[in-house]
Amino acid sequence: MRPLDETETTAVFEKIFKFTGNNLKNIVENPSHEGPDSEPGRYCFRLNKNKVYYVSESLVKRATNIARTNLVSLGTCIGKFTHGGSFHLTVQCLSLLASNAKHKVWLKPTSEMSFLYGNHVLKGGLGRITENIAPGDGVVVFSMSDVPLGFGVAAKSTQDCRKLDPNGIVVLHQADIGEYLRMEDEL
Amino acid sequence: MEETTAQEALQIDLGNLMAFDPYHHFPSLPSSREELVKECLKRGTELVQAIADTLFNLPSTEDVDGPLVKLPPPVTRLPREKHLPRPKPPTKWEIFAKAKGIKNRKKDKVAYDEQTGTWKRRYGYDHANDEENVPIIDAKMTDEPGEDPFAKKRKDKKKQVEKQEKNRLQNLKQAAKVGALPSHVQLAATALPITGSQAVPKKVTKEELGNVAGMAATSTASGGKFDKKLPGEKPAKHKGKYRKFLPVVESKGSSQEKEQTEKVLNKLMSKNSHEILNVNKAVTMYNVKKEKKWRNKQEKSSSSSSKLKPKKKLQKKPSNKGSSKKGKAK
Repeated sequence: MRPLDETETTAVFEKIFKFTGNNLKNIVENPSHEGPDSEPGRYCFRLNKNKVYYVSESLVKRATNIARTNLVSLGTCIGKFTHGGSFHLTVQCLSLLASNAKHKVWLKPTSEMSFLYGNHVLKGGLGRITENIAPGDGVVVFSMSDVPLGFGVAAKSTQDCRKLDPNGIVVLHQADIGEYLRMEDEL
Repeated sequence: MEETTAQEALQIDLGNLMAFDPYHHFPSLPSSREELVKECLKRGTELVQAIADTLFNLPSTEDVDGPLVKLPPPVTRLPREKHLPRPKPPTKWEIFAKAKGIKNRKKDKVAYDEQTGTWKRRYGYDHANDEENVPIIDAKMTDEPGEDPFAKKRKDKKKQVEKQEKNRLQNLKQAAKVGALPSHVQLAATALPITGSQAVPKKVTKEELGNVAGMAATSTASGGKFDKKLPGEKPAKHKGKYRKFLPVVESKGSSQEKEQTEKVLNKLMSKNSHEILNVNKAVTMYNVKKEKKWRNKQEKSSSSSSKLKPKKKLQKKPSNKGSSKKGKAK
């Protein structure tokens, strides 16, 4: 377990920034009320075996008792660094992204299942969409009852979506909560 | 005719590409050395010609580079280059065994393991009757109090191994004296402590020297930054610092990590600050405003110029007034 260095921090922040925009500040400066301290601590990012964790400082302090090789996980795993050095977000960071999302997409109940099996979001399954999405932006996917289902990358801007045919891809799938079942052993 | 008889008389060994004339004799010994050389060359060319002739008579296959011929196996037996290996002197144990009449019996590869009641291999990994695998050792009257019997066993085993190694080297030394070192040891013999003289210290290479010099140069307080370089001296191999990370848990008061994250965050925010202005939205809003202004202008201008519009306005105005009046009346 170690803190991220500057390049790693930039990689992580840039990825989250795609989803949250300026709300990233809320994530970084989120006060934590864990631990015995009376005054609120901070949340920080820690790297262990290529995985990046979002942990409160008081938990980090207590986790130092455990050797690096024995430490399986701590806090919330938000993603991992690939061997090539790029950063990928994983499903576990969904709640963090959903509460701070800038761009959102709501799915019709009929197409929820398809998305949860790992498919892209098609125009036909689109219930609502926030304005001003540009292609390449990070988008959090909700069900109509505002339950976060996953996230992905916008393939089309909001304007283009109106003219799109029903089978066109709107959001490219990156992660969904179905992965908790499908990839249980990898997470 | 002469040639054919000569060729028949020659002994040709094609496997070694060799020809030999067993019946050759000089009709009269050549008087001078030059003449002898001349004669020898002449006979030599004849022999080579004979080899070439038989070679081209062999069945050949055509190749890009010319005809290819498979040579028959050689007939003539050549002497070996090195002498036969000398017999190894008997080891100390072999001498002892001979004196006592001990004979080497072949043992089975597997042995019965009494602990587990199974057959296991006699030596090697997981072998039968392994002393190190004994979980309990019976106490004896002779046991000294305060001594770990397991540790003692391990120590004894190690001692035994060391003793065997010593014996092996002693035997090799004896063999080296006679010049009968086994072939697999010969090359490594200088590295073994058996020849009496120590191995010649290896010459330090230029690169190694350079590395040491670099290390010495950077071991000053400034890391060799202000040192004068000698002519031909290369810069230190490892320049700069090793990769260092912030502490996992910061001491109270220091906020290096906070500073770092804030720095990255601010950089990211300022880089994307242009996104605060939504250009599309701004453009549409601007367009709508412009349209409104233009309409207003047109209305004003039309009220002064055209004669149709005022009528409308006149019509509208009373209705407006009426409605307002109505509102007031209410």
